[in-house]
Amino acid sequence: MAETTTAGVSTTASDSRPIAARTTDAVKEYGKGDAMVRALDGITVAFGKGQFSAIMGPSGSGKSTLLHCIAGLDRLTSGSVHIGDIELGSLNDRQLTMLRRERVGFIFQSFNLVPTLSALDNIVLPLTIAGRKPDPAALAEVVRITGLGDRLKHRPNQLSGGQQQRVAAARALASQPEIIFADEPTGNLDSRASTDLLDFLRHAVSALGQTILMVTHDPLAAAHADRVVFLADGRVVSEMLGPTADTVLDVMRHLGD
Amino acid sequence: MIGVSLRSLLSHKLRLALTTIAVILGVSFVAGTFILTDTINSTFMSIFATANAGVAVTVHGHPIAGTSGGIGGGANHPVPTSLLTTVRAVPGVKDAVGNIFREGATLIGHNGKPIGGNGPPTFGANWITDSDISPYHLRSGTPPEGPNDVVVDAGTAAKNGLVVGGSLPIVFLGGVEEHFTITGIAGYGSSDNLAGATIALFTEATAERVLDGQNKYDSILVSAQSGVTDVVLRERIAMALPSYAEAETGQQAAAAAEQSTESTISTFIGTPLLVFAFISLFVGSFLIINTFNILVAQRTRELALLRALGATRAQVMTSVLVEAAVTGFVASMLGFGVGILIARALLSVFGSTATTGITLLPRTFIVAVLVGTIVTVIAATLPARRATRIAPVAALSESLPETQDLPRRRIALGLVIFVLGCAALVAGLFTSNSVTLQLIGGGFLGVFLGVSLLAPLLVVPVATVIGWPVRRLRGAAGLLAGENARRNPRRTALTAAALMIGLALVTCVAVLTDSVRVSTNNAIEGTLRADFIVFTQGPDFDTQAAGALAKDPKLTDVTEVRVTPVLIRGSSESISAIDPSELGSVLTLSMVSGDASAIGTTNTAIVDSTEAGAAGVHMGQLVTFNFPQGATVRVRIGGIYTANALVSGYIVSIATMQPQVPTARDDVVLANAAPGVSSGQAEAALQHDVHAFPLLMAMSRSQYRTFVGAGLDSFLNLITTLLAFAIIIAVLGIANTLALSVLERTREIGVLRALGMTRSQTRSMVRWESVIISLLGAVLGLAVGLGLGVVVAGSLHDLGITNVAVPGGNLILYALAAGVFGVLAAIIPTIRAARVDILRAIATE
Repeated sequence: MAETTTAGVSTTASDSRPIAARTTDAVKEYGKGDAMVRALDGITVAFGKGQFSAIMGPSGSGKSTLLHCIAGLDRLTSGSVHIGDIELGSLNDRQLTMLRRERVGFIFQSFNLVPTLSALDNIVLPLTIAGRKPDPAALAEVVRITGLGDRLKHRPNQLSGGQQQRVAAARALASQPEIIFADEPTGNLDSRASTDLLDFLRHAVSALGQTILMVTHDPLAAAHADRVVFLADGRVVSEMLGPTADTVLDVMRHLGD
Repeated sequence: MIGVSLRSLLSHKLRLALTTIAVILGVSFVAGTFILTDTINSTFMSIFATANAGVAVTVHGHPIAGTSGGIGGGANHPVPTSLLTTVRAVPGVKDAVGNIFREGATLIGHNGKPIGGNGPPTFGANWITDSDISPYHLRSGTPPEGPNDVVVDAGTAAKNGLVVGGSLPIVFLGGVEEHFTITGIAGYGSSDNLAGATIALFTEATAERVLDGQNKYDSILVSAQSGVTDVVLRERIAMALPSYAEAETGQQAAAAAEQSTESTISTFIGTPLLVFAFISLFVGSFLIINTFNILVAQRTRELALLRALGATRAQVMTSVLVEAAVTGFVASMLGFGVGILIARALLSVFGSTATTGITLLPRTFIVAVLVGTIVTVIAATLPARRATRIAPVAALSESLPETQDLPRRRIALGLVIFVLGCAALVAGLFTSNSVTLQLIGGGFLGVFLGVSLLAPLLVVPVATVIGWPVRRLRGAAGLLAGENARRNPRRTALTAAALMIGLALVTCVAVLTDSVRVSTNNAIEGTLRADFIVFTQGPDFDTQAAGALAKDPKLTDVTEVRVTPVLIRGSSESISAIDPSELGSVLTLSMVSGDASAIGTTNTAIVDSTEAGAAGVHMGQLVTFNFPQGATVRVRIGGIYTANALVSGYIVSIATMQPQVPTARDDVVLANAAPGVSSGQAEAALQHDVHAFPLLMAMSRSQYRTFVGAGLDSFLNLITTLLAFAIIIAVLGIANTLALSVLERTREIGVLRALGMTRSQTRSMVRWESVIISLLGAVLGLAVGLGLGVVVAGSLHDLGITNVAVPGGNLILYALAAGVFGVLAAIIPTIRAARVDILRAIATE
């Protein structure tokens, strides 16, 4: 059954597996003076390799900010972020770009495919950007599990929302990154397409050993994860291993109080 | 609704910045042209007014046929000096003075070079002692009294460091130097100078001698006794005059001179500059269309919402057009200001009217503002119509599909306009009638419009071909650059078409000049047998030069060529005269019928086949030559030859021309190296002989070829400079399209950056898109320009353009330049693209 801990207690990955990404005393402030908002208020958290982790929390809890900071899209005000053993704060823009290119994959809420490129070109785009050739076997496998085989020549506007998001997921997987960040990946999908996508992500973790960190506000989505970290007011308030939609909903109701 | 468009305008002011600059450039060209020509005109007005200020009546011979128009009016026949007595005897005449005023007194500066070079005219004149009549006013020194005294105009003196008491060498009519002493410096009326021309003033006897006066005055200037009006005096004088002379009042003379000057300046400066200004505005309108199209696309949802809330189509259309009108109006006002600066800069380059300032007429302001505003509004009409077609439901729809297909209607329209343009061009070039120029202009316009309308069809194939190496070289950045260039074919096409126009015109002129070069070279090779050619860049020159060369033992076959205008069947033609015995040793004419030696018989001419065909003249026919000096001679056609770039028209012997035009001077002197003399020695001897004639240029055949080429190069450079405005506007258009595209694709760029695209890759992506658009413009421009150039050059066969040549080097240069323009246009858009904030770009709205 689900196992929860109280806020601030759990600061490491919840088992002994190696760590894919972690933060230490992560603080992120926006604005100055009276208008200052503290989006992250000292978060220390770690995410294990080969694990499907979810971050949940009410609006304004800082969950997206946390994801952006771990993914190297945004910088902390203080504290540190590691991906593997690389500390992101010491990297300049180019090094951060290289890190994203080499080690990180993204899935966005609004698909964000390049409209001028075919599905296949979109899938291999991160590799093209990096000037790498896709590994044909790995690519074939990604294409097979997304079930996009007959759609590869299509442009994004010729695909349904669910298909577009599967292309986006395939794009994230194709470069075999150390960690995939998914920001509300089901936010623009209907429930059927959502389930397809989450099954696909689940499969990538279970069968391929992929590491995924997903921000979501949907308990059904979170239920596909191995572990859920709950944020409120920029702090880790709770976490749960082996979540179900019901247990997640319970915690969320609490946080809402 | 007006409020809506004004608010929209303010919020888009950055996006409209480049549109504004394009309109400013075009309008400033128009305004600058008007101000420049108005200023030059008013300078001359004041000069003519000054010149005639104390003159009640002026007397001169009848106008010389074929010389009408020009600055200051056409030339009149001179009158004999004896007429002065007749005029003085007319009651009411206070004083009358003879006036000799001719071109051909070239002052030699301290550096030994002719003052003014080949620029403004160099006048020589007699000092007029009656200060009431004289336009010359001494500033310092004394009037000329001795045979070696000269007074120079104050402007020339100041510019060239000439001072009273100094020595001044002067060359008359292309002859040898003579040395004068400056006794005084004079102003012309209240100004320093005659609009930049040099004036040297001598005693009457000296002027008569050095300017080949032949006991004649160019005019007689008369002042009236008090109580006698100019009009009355003119009538009295006219009654007393013999039939060869006429009289007009000072005011009439000034008015006639003004009118002729104005139309000359308009023909040679105003109209050509306005053509280039129009080209700039035309290119600018492409940029305006693109900008408003993009603005309308970006505002689709807002406009749809307005429609959903009850705004009519007309209101939507008006809201876009008002935005355009305000933009155009503001830009035109600024353009007017820039035009003033341009005119000032040009005038200070010419250096002629630094003191008088510029002439601003209300007409200039009105035309500039109207033209700029109207062009902007008309260009914005197409986007405005598109705005009216936005369905209210678009306010609610999620994604806004971009229409990519080119409607058949537009393709058909493009084809029709293109074909009509070609037809008009061919009609204008190969037939001659009263609307030739309009047909040619309309033809160019039609070709450009047609190609612009069809260009979207070419975007995908051409961009794919150009994009291929870019993709190979630049990986993802190259791939995306190519895709982005093809993404919106209409926008890309319009952007590239703007560049096409400038490049096509430059290419067309390059083909023309190269054709002239090759034709001339062929003519020099095929026709010119003489080793050496002597000529000036000014008017004809003293026959002493030929005399000096003839005495040189290292030269032989020294042959004078003289040119004079005659009236043949009512039209003014230049006829050439040459010594028949030398003709064969200096020229090889390709005869169609008869023989060149036929001109050895007096009153026999040969004529080129084109002229013969046009005039319907055949072998053995008698043609009447009306010499401007009065004589009428019937000349028999003794041969017909093929014209080329060097030799054309009627040719007679010097013996035929001499009796009618005893004062004719040489236009060209040809010579060969004497037998046994090396060409180097002969050339050294020639240069030594010519040294005494500072205005003459002596060249070997190959030097002459280079000289002609250099002239053509400077012509091409001038045209390229004038087209620079249009090309700059086109490059701004590329920058504009890219900047707006970057803005539209902010989110996409953010995603690419998140996926690992570096800033330099991002810059590379935008830069290569720009280069692809530019090269597309270059491909279109070179193709269209080549086509136009070949057709235009081909049509000039009758003018001696026998060869049509394609300057490959220039074309490669233009293509490379277009690539560089692409890189330049991309500078700011690349910076913006690289600065895109990833988080903000990908944040869901």
